[in-house]
Amino acid sequence: MAEYVKVASVADIPESTLKGFEIGPHRFVIVHAAGGFYAVVDECTHESVPLSEGEISDGQLVCRAHGARFDPKSGAVTAPPAVVPVETLEVKVEGDSIYVALED
Amino acid sequence: MSTGKTEYTIPDAAPALEQGPLWLRQKRRSLQESFNSTPLPRRGLHLWRYTDPAKFLAKPSEDDTPFGDHHDAVEEIELEHLRSGHLAGLVTDLGGRQIKSYGLDQPASQGLVVMPLSKAVEQHHDLVEPYLYGLVNSQTGKMEAMNGALWNDGIFIFVPDNRVVEKPIHLLREAGPAGSVQYPRLLVVVGRNAELTLIDEYGGGSSNDGTGLSYANAAVEMFGLAGSRTRYVTLQRQGPGMRAYLTHRARIERGANMLTIPLVFGATLCKQNFGVIMNGQGAESKMYGLLFGTGHQHFDNHTLHHHAHGQTVSNIDFKVVLRDRAQSAYTGLIRIDRHARVCEAYQENRNLLLSPGTRAETIPELEILNEDVSCSHGATLGPVDPDSIFYLASRGISRDQAVRMLVSGFVAPTLKLVPDDLRDRITAFVLRRLEDM
Amino acid sequence: MSKPAQDQRRDLTALNEDYAARYGFRDPVDYFHKGARGLDHEVVEMISRMKKEPRWMSERRHEALEVFYSKPIPQWGNTELLSEIDFDNIYYFMKPIEKQQTSWDDVPEYIKKTFDRLGIPQAERDFLGGVSAQYESEVVYHSMRDDLKKQGIVFLDMDSGLREHPDIVEKYFGSIIPTRDNKFAALNTAVWSGGSFIYVPPGVDVKVPLQAYFRINAENMGQFERTLIIADKGARVHYIEGCTAPVYSTDSLHSAVVEVIAMEGASIRYTTIQNWSRNIYNLVTKRASAHSNATVEWVDGNLGSRLTMKYPCIQLLGEGARGEILSVAFAGSGQHQDAGAKVIHAAPRTSSRITSKSISKDAGRASYRGLVKVHKNAHNSKVSVECDALLIGQEARSDTYPTMEIDCEQVRVEHEARVSKVAEEQLFYLTSRGLSEDEARLLIVNGFMEPFTKELPLEYAVELNRLIELEMEGSIG
Repeated sequence: MAEYVKVASVADIPESTLKGFEIGPHRFVIVHAAGGFYAVVDECTHESVPLSEGEISDGQLVCRAHGARFDPKSGAVTAPPAVVPVETLEVKVEGDSIYVALED
Repeated sequence: MSTGKTEYTIPDAAPALEQGPLWLRQKRRSLQESFNSTPLPRRGLHLWRYTDPAKFLAKPSEDDTPFGDHHDAVEEIELEHLRSGHLAGLVTDLGGRQIKSYGLDQPASQGLVVMPLSKAVEQHHDLVEPYLYGLVNSQTGKMEAMNGALWNDGIFIFVPDNRVVEKPIHLLREAGPAGSVQYPRLLVVVGRNAELTLIDEYGGGSSNDGTGLSYANAAVEMFGLAGSRTRYVTLQRQGPGMRAYLTHRARIERGANMLTIPLVFGATLCKQNFGVIMNGQGAESKMYGLLFGTGHQHFDNHTLHHHAHGQTVSNIDFKVVLRDRAQSAYTGLIRIDRHARVCEAYQENRNLLLSPGTRAETIPELEILNEDVSCSHGATLGPVDPDSIFYLASRGISRDQAVRMLVSGFVAPTLKLVPDDLRDRITAFVLRRLEDM
Repeated sequence: MSKPAQDQRRDLTALNEDYAARYGFRDPVDYFHKGARGLDHEVVEMISRMKKEPRWMSERRHEALEVFYSKPIPQWGNTELLSEIDFDNIYYFMKPIEKQQTSWDDVPEYIKKTFDRLGIPQAERDFLGGVSAQYESEVVYHSMRDDLKKQGIVFLDMDSGLREHPDIVEKYFGSIIPTRDNKFAALNTAVWSGGSFIYVPPGVDVKVPLQAYFRINAENMGQFERTLIIADKGARVHYIEGCTAPVYSTDSLHSAVVEVIAMEGASIRYTTIQNWSRNIYNLVTKRASAHSNATVEWVDGNLGSRLTMKYPCIQLLGEGARGEILSVAFAGSGQHQDAGAKVIHAAPRTSSRITSKSISKDAGRASYRGLVKVHKNAHNSKVSVECDALLIGQEARSDTYPTMEIDCEQVRVEHEARVSKVAEEQLFYLTSRGLSEDEARLLIVNGFMEPFTKELPLEYAVELNRLIELEMEGSIG
């Protein structure tokens, strides 16, 4: 069962930035891009480098190691060398708070 | 994720640094310096690729008091085994601080030394000093330097030449509650033509209710002198609140045998490194490992068989069974030095993956610098055979039962390799763990 | 035996004009005097201008140079040899003819001996030895090209490919190996020149293996070749490059990039045999994408160079895709063949097989570095890896570093490796049947390599056997 957990405040993550979180066994990145908040698993599908060490460019999440790019909304790969999409997590914003759905 | 965290350094005022005679204190300080000046291992190196080293760094607790009357239920069972003659001795270790030994003050124990390391460095300095830090030290790594500097109390076992210790000596290591940090250390010297069987059990570790983790950074050094026969069973069954790190190194000399059986069941984050160096003609090392993972357990295990001398033989069989979202990374290295002629080395790693969400990595490595070698390794990864489940289901056996039967079948060949007198005991450990699977 | 300077210049000018006619660049004589070593944006700009490239390629080159500067040398592999590469002391672009300034006297003895043994015709020897500028096979090559053109198959050198099919190149260049993939891919992207460009239209089965210029072609022996091969839906093609004869080059760094794309149902086999001279560092990035029900096969023979680092990779992206990598490496004294294979399973019902055979002789070192990565969605996939290493001589060394990362439980992955020396019993059996020990050992080594050799076109297989014979006698280098 997935439960929404408050993870951060809107003010913590300005537009075009990202932030990594680790809650229990869950490691994920929250991205503020294209006006919305999105969350993906904190691991590049290419060589498992943490995406939280990367950056946002043109609304895309860019891995610092080899330049792989992902669309934060769908997790789809938008530039190689990654070939597999990154898993996304459900995000809910209520007022000032950002919630992410985490499986037990 | 080590970004943003200030890196931990061992302060000069750490109480452990002041423990022991001068020669020991000097060594501790030098290890402290080494730890403080070495950067964290880089994640890129595959030894640390799957696990963040920062997760094992924790400040030693200020609390130096013993754990009081806390007793593991297992201790009672083992005391009973001792009383009924199934053990040669029992040693309990609470949090790497409080060491108590039972059953070793009888006449039969004469010459055999089993005592807290803190006492041994004073009373048996001539036996300890040549060996302590000989195999696990700052050169092994940053984490090893940490144990070397900060171990509070450890266990020392010395078996004199030609002495055969028939029954096993059982070590019960209990980790402390949430927030505790321990540095268990074990030093074993088995004399020429002597024999020893050791069972090293790691228990305890809080339940993980989010209030805190306990940490263990353990080091084991074993020296098997010429002609000796050592059997070392290590059982890791610590609770879900545990982050356990262990480095084991053994060196065996001419004609010596070593059997190592790592049983890896516990801790939420468990990184262990077992290595045997064959340092004399005719030395032989066997390792049979079994790992069972459930829930969100994360295991990272390494084995090393280093042939530093010709005409040596080694064999590793490491089996992994994973369920739920457990993860296992296994790196096994066989290294044959340039001058080590006519060696035989074998390694096998089989992984059984029982559910989607499990993740297994296996990296069997070979570094062979001498042509006169017979060496092979194999690895397999896969699920339980669906046809077998179907067959058992058609005989009225539930899926869970069927899986448990097939897992037992998977590990059975390993259990067959275990020496007779240890088999029942190890099978008992395994069955107990399988019940949770 | 060098001609008077005036004559030389006249010859060169004539050749340059030919080059200009083919590649459309002017000012050849000016460039001849340039000969600058080292790498900077100016050199990159010069390369791009001379080739008259579109703006986007020029921008990519410059961007790649920045990436090259920013990335460190790999901290794994033979770091000792890698640290010997002096990037500032290399010519990054030379017209093919300028390289061939050596005289026959300069060609190393071991190379000449090999030519003798392999029975290489003199004309080829001159070319391979770097003594002559071109190989006179123009006429035959051109007629072959016309045949292919009729079927809609494009087979050009990469420079021409960019010029004649800019849309296709723009779409796929860097789509498999991006600039930031690794330091040497960035280097290649900045200074690439030459290589092959192949496009096979849907459903076309190229019956004859495509060989780069009958194995010998200055453009395909370049330092920084860039190759792009695309087989459209259902197409089939076999591409072969390299040769078993040693190629002597004064350039010490060779860093090629090869991108291969097999669309749905297509099938591509890429065979390489390299035998670069023993002064060369050969660092190659080769990667293929196989879409659903497509097949890609890498057949890779590594015989030469001082250090080769090459890990052909296949990404299985569509359901039912299949990959196979067959690799052979021979490391003689002073050589390090650091080869391997990578397969990425990113779709269900995909299968792969890796077979690696290596021989280390005397002070030679052969390493296998492999990766098998099976993603969560690749259920019902199957992988099998087999590495065999043969050690000959007291100083030989073999390493095996395979990594398997499995995120899906409904798969079967198997890996097996063996390291041994030539078996005493086998030797005894053969010598007791009248063979000398050398002959027996050679037979065993040939038998060891057989799974590889049988996949080669006949003339390669014959040459390879002769070459191995030569290596085994120890009469080389």
